[in-house]
Amino acid sequence: MAIRQTPLTCSGHTRPVVDLAFSGITPYGYFLISACKDGKPMLRQGDTGDWIGTFLGHKGAVWGATLNSDATKAATAAADFTAKVWDAVSGDEVLTLSHKHIVKSVNFTLDSKHLLTGGNDKTLRIFDMIKPDADPQEIVGHSGAIKKALWCNNDQHILSAADDRTVRLWDRSSAEVVKSLSFEASVTSMEYMPEEKILIVTYGKTISFYNALSLDLIKSVDAPASIHSASLHPDKDFFVAGGDDFKIYKYDYSTTEELESYKGHFGPVHCVRFSPDGELYASGSEDGTLRLWQTVVGKTYGLWKCVLPEELISDSCDASYPAATELKA
Amino acid sequence: MRNPVSVLRLPRGPDPNSRGFDPNSPRFLALCPTSISSSTGSGSDPVQMGEEQCARSALREGFLRALVAMTNKPVQFDMYERVKVHATFGSSDIDVLNFQVSDLHTPIGVQKEALLRCQDVILYSFDL
Repeated sequence: MAIRQTPLTCSGHTRPVVDLAFSGITPYGYFLISACKDGKPMLRQGDTGDWIGTFLGHKGAVWGATLNSDATKAATAAADFTAKVWDAVSGDEVLTLSHKHIVKSVNFTLDSKHLLTGGNDKTLRIFDMIKPDADPQEIVGHSGAIKKALWCNNDQHILSAADDRTVRLWDRSSAEVVKSLSFEASVTSMEYMPEEKILIVTYGKTISFYNALSLDLIKSVDAPASIHSASLHPDKDFFVAGGDDFKIYKYDYSTTEELESYKGHFGPVHCVRFSPDGELYASGSEDGTLRLWQTVVGKTYGLWKCVLPEELISDSCDASYPAATELKA
Repeated sequence: MRNPVSVLRLPRGPDPNSRGFDPNSPRFLALCPTSISSSTGSGSDPVQMGEEQCARSALREGFLRALVAMTNKPVQFDMYERVKVHATFGSSDIDVLNFQVSDLHTPIGVQKEALLRCQDVILYSFDL
């Protein structure tokens, strides 16, 4: 008997969701932060999508959001020309870092002691979290607005993608470009997998995978529509992608064949990310929702429940909702 | 026809009345250094904790009483960018993020009803 994927819709945002990030696995599970044009990024429990809290304080659209590995700190990048650092347990704002233009991307180092920011003023900045009042280290070079800036290779390098259609690899200590990639179209997203040292770049209808140290191309796949974001499963079995046609595509990583496509969102998909345990992936859309999708459809995990054939009484399509039990974080 | 995967319930959405971060959640109690709970029995001196808690309670009570005393009174607000306005104070929201005021006198006219963003306020004063 075939099983149909039931995505879990997380509502709450009132404008498009433009970025999302998972934390690592903590003793309290893992967490998900969503950046939204309504200026109110939200923290959710990663495996259920349950809302935990909203970070209030930004005065403009939030374009980027990230969590540190143990989900104790969050950082957000916004159109109000600031990046903010938050205590992700209490929800309190800890730092406001002023910039000269819209900030698009924020990323913590592994030890959470430094924060990398990038935005429309084309400059990468590294802020010291212990001395936040000190001037940040600035790295210039891009000739277009920076869309995404990430630490990589054990925080020794920085990867940045900008509207100048380049992805650059910078050495952190020398602040010099080590390697550069040029594209025919604007880069829509970039994701880095630290264990495998793989870089995923999306542009036009293409999803490309690179070696993060050498920026050599590993493989490239073309999707049926313009892709805004892609994410590779932690075990490198599959990757998912979403874009302009509102669908989520699932591909086999080794063969690059398209396995499945899922409809559900009512607007273009802006971001997709696998959870740290690979059991689900989250997507954020122009329709203002986040959706959680199962990697193995039908498996009991989070809020999804495996139902054996004998337990199905009728052919009804309604999902079953037994009395809600209090679930602890 | 394919059957959809069953779900226990839908993900919980935001609480319209607060910004969340439940102070009674296990994670908050374990990780927030400023959360004082007699049951956690953390390493620091219990006498000191007790004194701190008394001080915190007194300050919080004072603040809340001030808000009550201010209701329907004219209040002067000094804000960033050298903004000085006065209005009749109505109420605050639960997280003290916004103040609801009436008859807000601004350089461009009187606003019948308005919300002031608390983070923009440096100080406010009123006569008892």
